[in-house]
Amino acid sequence: MMKGKKFLALGLVVAMTGSMIAGCGGSSGSNGDSNSAGGTETAAKDEKQGGEVELELFSTKTENADILQKMIDGFMEENPDIKVTLTSESDAATVLKTRLTKNDIPEIVAMGGDSNYTELQSAGVLLDLSGEDFVSDVQEAYLDMVYDVNVDKEQTAYGIPYATNASGVLYNEDLFAQAGVEVPKTWSEFQDVVAKLQEAGITPFELTFADSWTCLPPWNSMAPVIPDANFTDDRKAGSVTFAGTHDEVVEKYLWILDYAQEDFMGTTYTDGNAAFANGSAAMMINGNWAISEFLNTNPDMNVNMFAFPSVDDESKNTVTSGVDVLLAVSNQGTDEQQEAAKEFIRYALKPEVAQSYIDDQFAFSAVNGVEQTNETVSGVAKDIANGKVSNFPDHYYPNGFDLSTILQQCALNKVNGMDNAENISETLTSCDEQYDVANVE
Amino acid sequence: MKQKKRINMVFYLMVVPMAVLFFCFHTLPFLQGVFYSFTDWKGYGDWNFVGLRNYLHIFKDKNVISAYLFTLQFAVCATILVNVLSLVLACALNAKIKCRNFLKAVFFLPYMLGTLIISYVFKYIFSNVVPAIGKALGIASLSVNILGTNHAWIGVLVVTIWQSMAFNTLIYLSGLQTVDRDLYEAAALDGATGMKRFLKITFPLIAPFFTINMVLSGKNFLMAFDQFIAMTNGGPGTATTTISVLIYKKGFSGGQFAYQSANAVLLFIVVVLISVFQLRVLEKREEKVS
Repeated sequence: MMKGKKFLALGLVVAMTGSMIAGCGGSSGSNGDSNSAGGTETAAKDEKQGGEVELELFSTKTENADILQKMIDGFMEENPDIKVTLTSESDAATVLKTRLTKNDIPEIVAMGGDSNYTELQSAGVLLDLSGEDFVSDVQEAYLDMVYDVNVDKEQTAYGIPYATNASGVLYNEDLFAQAGVEVPKTWSEFQDVVAKLQEAGITPFELTFADSWTCLPPWNSMAPVIPDANFTDDRKAGSVTFAGTHDEVVEKYLWILDYAQEDFMGTTYTDGNAAFANGSAAMMINGNWAISEFLNTNPDMNVNMFAFPSVDDESKNTVTSGVDVLLAVSNQGTDEQQEAAKEFIRYALKPEVAQSYIDDQFAFSAVNGVEQTNETVSGVAKDIANGKVSNFPDHYYPNGFDLSTILQQCALNKVNGMDNAENISETLTSCDEQYDVANVE
Repeated sequence: MKQKKRINMVFYLMVVPMAVLFFCFHTLPFLQGVFYSFTDWKGYGDWNFVGLRNYLHIFKDKNVISAYLFTLQFAVCATILVNVLSLVLACALNAKIKCRNFLKAVFFLPYMLGTLIISYVFKYIFSNVVPAIGKALGIASLSVNILGTNHAWIGVLVVTIWQSMAFNTLIYLSGLQTVDRDLYEAAALDGATGMKRFLKITFPLIAPFFTINMVLSGKNFLMAFDQFIAMTNGGPGTATTTISVLIYKKGFSGGQFAYQSANAVLLFIVVVLISVFQLRVLEKREEKVS
């Protein structure tokens, strides 16, 4: 019992001391409260006078943070009553999905026109921008690409395409001149070029298949051209399979591997870019985003791009180009915020603003009349301006369909010496199986 | 009864906050995961109960089955090799050799570094340094990046062993230090030296440490994740996709959150079963020898 009493006493002491501390804290706290109350009052007054609206611009690309910040600064100078803050972090897609669960949607979202956009759009948190005057400022072809990734292909502009990218063949102009070859327009010419490069002792392709996503670009260039145009819809409905429609794609894919550098399965994207910039091979099948990497390694490199010549009918070959950045507005904000967000998009679509964005990013613009004039992409700039483009086919595949892994396996089979016919059928069977698994879930 | 009342409150004050934190940040998310495994939740938005559908689907999914087979193969090889090598190393470091403490520090260093950092460093070594050496020596099998071949898992295995040995060696060392030196002297008098002494005296005496190491490394390697993500990202193809890598890749970027939650619950059950089995077998062995 003595122990119990002691404990009680100790408890009381602790409790009393605690309440004393709390008491002190309380009084100082109330002082602080009155101060901060005054603070909010003034802030509220400011808001009434200036009508300041706060916006958050969330970007899913870390590469464009600097230029977006410049754009924001320019916008805030013109609109002093609107305050925009930029959020740009790595793994942004996951962050955005997490915030979606908390219904904490940024007022403006700058993201790719891919399955992440589809998820945001299908959650019903994006504002319908179809009625806005600025919709007519952007190219129809890219607007269609955004419609295509809406749920049920709804013809409504929930996102305004802003910047686009291009995937095709990157080539070293000096090595092409050295071997005396011209840019190929058809598949047969392409084969000739590869043969001549090899005769001249130049490795035709630098591939970086240690990073599995780099297995995609050749597929992305051929898949929209070679199979039937309705393939992606029909496949979703289950009326066709990859097997029987994509055999030629895989066959040509395997042909390319024959002319790649040694140990292409073990070459990473970073190492491959550096090697290509220093003239290790004549061509690389990837996109405009790799160019700044080359120029970092070798600023004097003469690099250019051409559309992947998938077939012999020149008119069918296209540049693969997708919506790299679109601008969308949340419908969860207040009316003032929504209006301010639209104002920001109007500003971003101004030709001079759009031009400075693509110049900084080596990208292409979805805005009418804004052209990429940089030498390094001149080979495809014309095709893009003329609308000779097709979207990335993987934007139409289900979210869980991991095609890059299948293609990496296909390349590994080739290196292991598997027979081409067997490899083609195994790869396409695996495409169909994995597609079905992903399509169900 | 009176005796029991006398437990000092301080012990409760020490345990309860930890228990609460553990429950909030570990048990609760785990139970949530179990809950979602019975739904079709994508990670956000609406969801419905689907009963056991996710679990039934697992057994038909080729990706999951091949991931389990690969993970088991990897875990068995890694557990055996790590324990054999670290036991040898611990015996060597326990002997009276020169620079003993310095060498202990050297072998413990990998444990202080993050797995991701080590993996990125080794990824560079495998893709640049090893092929250069292989080419210079004219060894064909070394002149390609092993991470881009069928044998990618061996590359990851080497790195995993190198890193995991540190902790296991430490436990074995502390085990060896509990062995009374007098026993060795007595054994020496009876003519037990070298290998015989190790097998008959040392190893039985450190049996509990062997049990702990086997169970811990078995569990760790069944859940191997960091080194695979950093070095191969589960590739080439799906050649090195462990269960954890599969859960991460398909669950977070593949929109199969609920389905992969079910897979994670299954992995949890498998790991628990294997650990319990290991404990049973190894504890029986401990009893037998002691």
